[in-house]
Amino acid sequence: MIELKNITKVYSLGDEEVRALDGISLEIEDREFVAIVGASGSGKSTLMNMIGCLDSPDDGEYYIDGQDVSHMSERELAIMRNRKIGFIFQQFNLLPKLTAYENVELPLIYQGVPAKERDVRVREALEQVGLAGRMGHRPNQLSGGQQQRVAVARALATHPSLILADEPTGNLDSKSTKDIMGLLYEVHRQGNTIVLITHDNEIAAAAERQVRIMDGRVISDVRNGGERA
Amino acid sequence: MKLKQSIKMAWSAILSNKMRSFLTMLGIIIGVMAVTLLISLVQGATGRITDSMSDLGANNLVVTITDYSKKLTYTELKRLEDREGVDLVSPSVTGRITAIADGNSVTADLYGITPAYETVQGLDIETGRGISEFDIEESLSVCVIGPGVAKDLFGTTEVLAHKIRINSREYRIVGVLEEEDSTMMGMTNDSIYIPLTNAQRLLKQTAMTSFYVYAQDENELSTAQESTKAFLYEKFRDEDSYTVLNMSNIVDMIDQVLGTMELMLAGIAAISLLVGGIGIMNIMLVSVTERTREIGIRKAIGAQRSDITIQFLIESVFISLIGGIIGMGISQLILTILNHLFTDYHFVISLSVAGLALGFSIGIGVIFGIYPANRAASLKPINALRYE
Repeated sequence: MIELKNITKVYSLGDEEVRALDGISLEIEDREFVAIVGASGSGKSTLMNMIGCLDSPDDGEYYIDGQDVSHMSERELAIMRNRKIGFIFQQFNLLPKLTAYENVELPLIYQGVPAKERDVRVREALEQVGLAGRMGHRPNQLSGGQQQRVAVARALATHPSLILADEPTGNLDSKSTKDIMGLLYEVHRQGNTIVLITHDNEIAAAAERQVRIMDGRVISDVRNGGERA
Repeated sequence: MKLKQSIKMAWSAILSNKMRSFLTMLGIIIGVMAVTLLISLVQGATGRITDSMSDLGANNLVVTITDYSKKLTYTELKRLEDREGVDLVSPSVTGRITAIADGNSVTADLYGITPAYETVQGLDIETGRGISEFDIEESLSVCVIGPGVAKDLFGTTEVLAHKIRINSREYRIVGVLEEEDSTMMGMTNDSIYIPLTNAQRLLKQTAMTSFYVYAQDENELSTAQESTKAFLYEKFRDEDSYTVLNMSNIVDMIDQVLGTMELMLAGIAAISLLVGGIGIMNIMLVSVTERTREIGIRKAIGAQRSDITIQFLIESVFISLIGGIIGMGISQLILTILNHLFTDYHFVISLSVAGLALGFSIGIGVIFGIYPANRAASLKPINALRYE
């Protein structure tokens, strides 16, 4: 479970202060599928960085599974990212010189998982996304949809508390978009918590809960059909 | 993260850009090659020079009388042998003469010697006897000849009691030397030895201009040197009219000069190593910039600062170390070729030089790698991820 309490982040551009996040509070339960929706400039990217432990708030508190993240050192944040969060980026962000297998293996290496167990988990994750037959392929030998599947596998491999997907279909055609969204539902059904950040209302509508952001504040928080798994 | 994984990552980064890695290494290759090659060459040459110097004797002194007006007779000089530390005094005069016998003639080196010469120069008599004190006292016209001279004049070495003519004087042969291998001192084969006093008259060199003083052993050399100086001062009352040189002093001096030269050359070569190191730093910095996004991804998925530092540091150390090994391989190759060309010399990369070169390579990799590696590690993941 993650908990944001009154999170504020201020950037200064010259003399001007930009309140990218202006006292955001948000709770996300385990096994939820939440879409965070907002136009560009609404602060959703900053929020994503915050949730993803890539950035620290100026004010407010942030807890992941009860651990206070807002005052963590750089080193501790790296550990949180590694163990608690699985990232899926718009640009896939796979390492081009590594194979699909090695890309998925990387976070496990940083976690210090022994080689034998790594192998089991990498194969498991790649099977889960349907790429068991493409383990030895490099990103440039895979289609966009397949690359994003590798990224999903990479996110799943560490068994994180939270999968954070930042516009995961932004660089994909409509067929691959459907494909990846289907995969995310599937991953959700298997019991993973997913936070999806998007500006696309259609994609957001598919989530069980939609949080709308504008000017660094939450303007609405709606549950589709009220279900909460 | 385990070291093994870091090494794997660094290695694949080096392989993924072979040309660039090689060009970066080139600076180190040339630097290490220059250092090891120069040091080994100087060491080889030093070894050879000091070896041949100490062949000349580590237990003798060379006395030169520079003031020709000072006269010293053989009888006077003999008294130096009674002084502390001194074993033998060996004066000699030399000249090039023509010897005639049986209608044949031969040009040879003539040495006017004393019995001490036979001992200290290691002349081996095959038949007959050597030059005696009596020969010298009486200035007798007798000679000891090398086998080469004997054969040239008589066609045989069975020539005892035969006579040869030198400058229209007759000399009776009293001894013939053993045949020598034509190595270092092979010239004894073609030399003629006569009593010192006789030679002084024959060659018209009445003044004794130089002689060797032999110490009882190497440890007594400085005592002998002091005794000799004291002896000459008593005789001449003028320190400027003679010099007493100690062979081991000369060897030490040459050693020192060559040692300084070795240091200087190594220093100059080390500059090229430094330049190589700067090359590594330059490329590593470029590489960090190029791989900003990679670093961002690695950090986002959980790489620690230290993981990134170690990855880049290992990369630069690898480049530098491999460069060092290649450079040393090339200089070993060159030395091997030189050893075949100049068989008198023996050039090797000594263990300490090899260790030094490899240690330096690693050190350069670390020193010039640490800044780029730190720069990579301190990139903020959000900024790095945004980098295109």
